[in-house]
Amino acid sequence: MELAEDRGESLRMIRDSAAGIAPRTGDFKRIRALRFGEPGFDPVVWRQMCEMGWPGLRVPEDHGGSSLGVQAFCALCEELGACLVPEPLIQIAMAARLLPATHLSTLLGGDRIIIPAWQERANSIEPFGATVLAGNKVSGRKVFVPFAAGADAFLVTVPGQLALVAQDAPGLSVTIEGTQDGGHFGTLQFDDTPAEPIEGDAGTALDEATLATAAYLLGVMDRAFTLTLEYLKTRQQFGRVIGSFQALQHRAADLSIQVALTRASIESAAVACDSTVDPAIRKAAVSRAKARASDAAMNVTRQCIQLHGGIGYTDEYDIGLFLRKAMVLSNLYGSAALHRTRFAAVAPEQTDE
Amino acid sequence: MTKHVPEGTNVDSVAIPPAEQLDGLDDETFRAVVRRFLELNYPPELRHPPKRLHLAENRPWYTKLSEQGWLCPSWPREYGGLGLSSIKQIILTEEYERYGVARTNDHGIIMVGPLLIEHGTEEQKRFFLPKILSGEHIWCQGYSEPNAGSDLASLRTEAVLDGDEYVINGQKIWTTLAMDANWIFLLVRTNKQAKKQEGISFLLVPMDTPGISVKSIITLDMHDEFCETFFDNVRVPARNLVGQPNKGWTMAKTLLGHERIYLGSPKLSGYALGRLKLLAEHMGISEDPLFRDRYTQLRLDLEDLRSLYGRFVDIVRRGEPLGPDVSMLKVWQTELFQRITDVTVEIAGENAALLEPMAGNRELNPAGLYLQARPATIYGGSNEIQRNILAKNVLALPG
Repeated sequence: MELAEDRGESLRMIRDSAAGIAPRTGDFKRIRALRFGEPGFDPVVWRQMCEMGWPGLRVPEDHGGSSLGVQAFCALCEELGACLVPEPLIQIAMAARLLPATHLSTLLGGDRIIIPAWQERANSIEPFGATVLAGNKVSGRKVFVPFAAGADAFLVTVPGQLALVAQDAPGLSVTIEGTQDGGHFGTLQFDDTPAEPIEGDAGTALDEATLATAAYLLGVMDRAFTLTLEYLKTRQQFGRVIGSFQALQHRAADLSIQVALTRASIESAAVACDSTVDPAIRKAAVSRAKARASDAAMNVTRQCIQLHGGIGYTDEYDIGLFLRKAMVLSNLYGSAALHRTRFAAVAPEQTDE
Repeated sequence: MTKHVPEGTNVDSVAIPPAEQLDGLDDETFRAVVRRFLELNYPPELRHPPKRLHLAENRPWYTKLSEQGWLCPSWPREYGGLGLSSIKQIILTEEYERYGVARTNDHGIIMVGPLLIEHGTEEQKRFFLPKILSGEHIWCQGYSEPNAGSDLASLRTEAVLDGDEYVINGQKIWTTLAMDANWIFLLVRTNKQAKKQEGISFLLVPMDTPGISVKSIITLDMHDEFCETFFDNVRVPARNLVGQPNKGWTMAKTLLGHERIYLGSPKLSGYALGRLKLLAEHMGISEDPLFRDRYTQLRLDLEDLRSLYGRFVDIVRRGEPLGPDVSMLKVWQTELFQRITDVTVEIAGENAALLEPMAGNRELNPAGLYLQARPATIYGGSNEIQRNILAKNVLALPG
């Protein structure tokens, strides 16, 4: 186990390296230019992220990764969320956790975009469903696949294993629908589509992607709140800055508590993932963090719009980008309600006597 | 992260070392020692009392603590305390709370002792500290006034120097357990011309001084621990002033220190959630999906509070000072406590109207728990004041 000081140091380094690509002080021109187009991210920036080693953070060193923990990955995702970075890190990092070493060099080098396709119905966190693999051919349907339009291949979950399917494989049809944040989901229909069987189970990697999404949401709400605080300190009405009004001050105080609770919850979950192999403890911690992050992100970004007043309702002003991102991610990898239910099902009760 | 000796761990074989060795133990051994100490010494009938206990009820435990040298955990050893580090004090409190140890008449221990150790004269220390340690002096706190609650610095109880005596006139309120105390420490106005924070002094006054009268206030939960205390030409020697005249406000503020973290301890909410679960079982609705969803939400709120609390405990563990952001713990803890009791009252139906616990079981007391939760958002700086602190001192909002 890493020592606490070493861990603190490596987390600082991760955050610093994130700032190289996505500085918290930056504007949102790049993000806006990529909205509502395909593939929805910048392949050049994605290659830079690969050069930084980000998709392989959780991959063992002898497979070309850097063997870092979930805490480090969450710290990185938080920084990316703070800048609304649209590149598919969470999805490709999940694929990297699942693919054998032979497939990793092209993935981690940025030459190939492989996106996991696991979901089969709305609001689900089940790693597989009715899609099957028989005779090296996949049949079934996967839904809400982010970045589907930019994928070279899909890593499809089926009962007991995985299957790698090229995006141009015969029998695969992909339907794209735009999402509020300027990205998209794909619906994948497989009809006897040729596939390469891959050993493995997506459960743990899916939990990590869920927690990483919670961390991304933390970055989203934290930055939205910071921008709103700046607005409260500059916008004048009735001859005073509006941040001097107690009604708004108390609302800001409450939002700061939501951000702090989310950060504490995610940190606990990341520690649990890094220090336990008990799936019930991991699932409970991840569900707790995602439930908090989803609720808090919607609450904070929605109230940030309100605190901005009319300007917050324009697409031109940046604060709306944060609400739209929260609207996409709060329900992706399971809504708050779904994770509350899962938490209740798996978490042992801690009593105080 | 706070590590815990797992619940149910047998501590029967743990030996209790002499008091002066406690601070030298590692944290986990210390926790086990505290647990064993409570099993051996704490009166079982006083666990989780539904109200603040009077001295008469608490005296055997108080005496036990005094005899074993455990009464004053935070005081340095040279003054008869345990000399515990901040983190060990938190562990001690966590274990007391876990075991349901009643709060004692502790104002001498947590307020007067540290005040005198920091600001008292040698004579004051020699006179007062041993009498706190022996249990001879029981103190109460005279801070709030009818017109100085959240705005404490506007207090008006006045002390005028007359020769070598101060003459005190005015009224204090919320003087907890004043009827049990034989001394009171007071914030009084000694300069009416100065800015309001700069005309306040600290005075120590025997409760049997002529001119002092005490009247109980009956609270919503029909308890009498809060009092009004009146001062009518009360004369005390000028040597009972602590520190410099007109510097009382600064001293009162620095006394709070690490205590602010205790208002955010998850134990109160944890206790309430346990009662809610018990009540749901009693009412036969534990498996009702609507109840399950609300209960799970409260569990998650509590678990996230524990994580947030753990972050602040880690700051104390590193020996760093707590910032004003610790106010958020108090807000979240106390409002969670109240949300839990909201559900308690709702699921109890007509039982929530009863004056006495249900079925003669004091663990099933929805109305009592609900009322007990009311002052949590008022005392220790109301939650509105806490939000002001967060807005101004953490978020740097103006005005």
